Amino acid sequence: MANTLRLYLTCIRNTLEAAMCLQNFPCQEVERHNKPEVELKTSPELLLNPVLICRNEAEKCLVETSINSIRISLKVKQADELENILAKKFLRFLSMRAEAFQVLRRKPVQGYDISFLITNYHCEDMHKHKLIDFIVQFMEDIDKEISELKLSVNTRGRLVATEFLKQFI
Amino acid sequence: MILLESHNTIIKNVLTERFVKPSKIDVQFVDYDNVRFHLSTPTSKTVLVLSMGIHCWSDLKKYGAPEILEREFGEWVSNDPNLKEQDYDVTLVLDLEKIPEEGDDRDALIDHFSMLKPIILSAPFHRAYNEHSQLASKHKSTFQPGMADQAPEERGELMIIHYREEEAIYVQAANDRVTIVISTLFTDETDRVFGKVFLQEFVDARRRSSAIGTAPQVMYTTRDPPLEVRNAPGIAGVKRSEDVGWITFVLFPRHFATPEIASDTTFKLELFRDYLHYHIKASKTYMHSRMRARVASFQQILNRAKPEVIQDERKTATGRTFRSR
Repeated sequence: MANTLRLYLTCIRNTLEAAMCLQNFPCQEVERHNKPEVELKTSPELLLNPVLICRNEAEKCLVETSINSIRISLKVKQADELENILAKKFLRFLSMRAEAFQVLRRKPVQGYDISFLITNYHCEDMHKHKLIDFIVQFMEDIDKEISELKLSVNTRGRLVATEFLKQFI
Repeated sequence: MILLESHNTIIKNVLTERFVKPSKIDVQFVDYDNVRFHLSTPTSKTVLVLSMGIHCWSDLKKYGAPEILEREFGEWVSNDPNLKEQDYDVTLVLDLEKIPEEGDDRDALIDHFSMLKPIILSAPFHRAYNEHSQLASKHKSTFQPGMADQAPEERGELMIIHYREEEAIYVQAANDRVTIVISTLFTDETDRVFGKVFLQEFVDARRRSSAIGTAPQVMYTTRDPPLEVRNAPGIAGVKRSEDVGWITFVLFPRHFATPEIASDTTFKLELFRDYLHYHIKASKTYMHSRMRARVASFQQILNRAKPEVIQDERKTATGRTFRSR
């Protein structure tokens, strides 16, 4: 299991390394505007083919690249109702703090749980390889965090039930 | 704190203080399940009036709460209509000149007053325990010991206590057990999911450890009420959705063998809903604090990507340094 995760993350890392060669590119239509082309999609010649990396049906990662920006969308594993609600809560919590994470998109792309938008300015301000490290680490941690939260809810439930029923002995 | 306490801490603290040093007071406070209290001294400093308003008083009245009140708090119950407060159902008058001397007796009395709500709410439970013993003895006299297995079971009256809006406790006695069904409403999506996990653990707890094998059997369903109460009056009007949980406790005679055990069992069951919801909320709080910590750690990882701004000292050709003021 851990092995497939390793491969999945390596694949994403390699894709990002290849995709993240961004350059400044002013808008072609409006003077003095500079916008992420991946969001606007004004011209097909500025876009590259999107790459979809799937670990399985529930976990996938979509990398969309353009000349001056890259958009990474993640879908996190949600095996049951509890994981679903935990993932939803957690990612909402993160999205609300998007301001603090410069590269986080406020709203995920449709069909995904969370999205990042990296522009050429981010690449200029930050080390590129460290930025990729962040994305990969993020993916790794989010799975870990959700399973830990789930475990803690279950453990608490067990303890609570046992303690309550113990009173009747 | 894992277990909740049955008594009301405010009553306990205020009475402990006032019994030593009488003074004027007028406080209103609440307890679980929308129970309201009013503690005041309307006439003189030495006469404390404790009133309680409880949502399900009309139900409790049918199931013997006035008798329990008379039995437990007989000498303190006020029959004076002037002291009876509006909007409250039970009024006790505590004359500070009649209370026992400082010591164990007084502490016991204070504890007793602070248990006012659980004691009143236990009325239908005690009625069911009595009904059970009647049914059991009748059953025993009618049928031979060997025949008892085939004998039809007899059931007592189904008592419904609407302890909150849209939530109720159903109590029914039978010849071999007493069944308690508690319905609860999860107002929040997260509460519902957590509640489901918690309730499943209640069901599994007995199976998991033999140490609690003697605890009452627990079952739970969502949406549709369990068979025991499916024919109860008014059940058709109860909301049916995934948000409603039905928890059934099956009490066997050993759970109410003596009056002490019976009261203890009852007090615990009365707190079940509060206990469950308290822990769901606690779980959510814990989840929130973990998320905060995790966000901080993500922030740290992202900050590592930002290059440090190097502030080196700049010098002029002659070797002087710049200094910004």
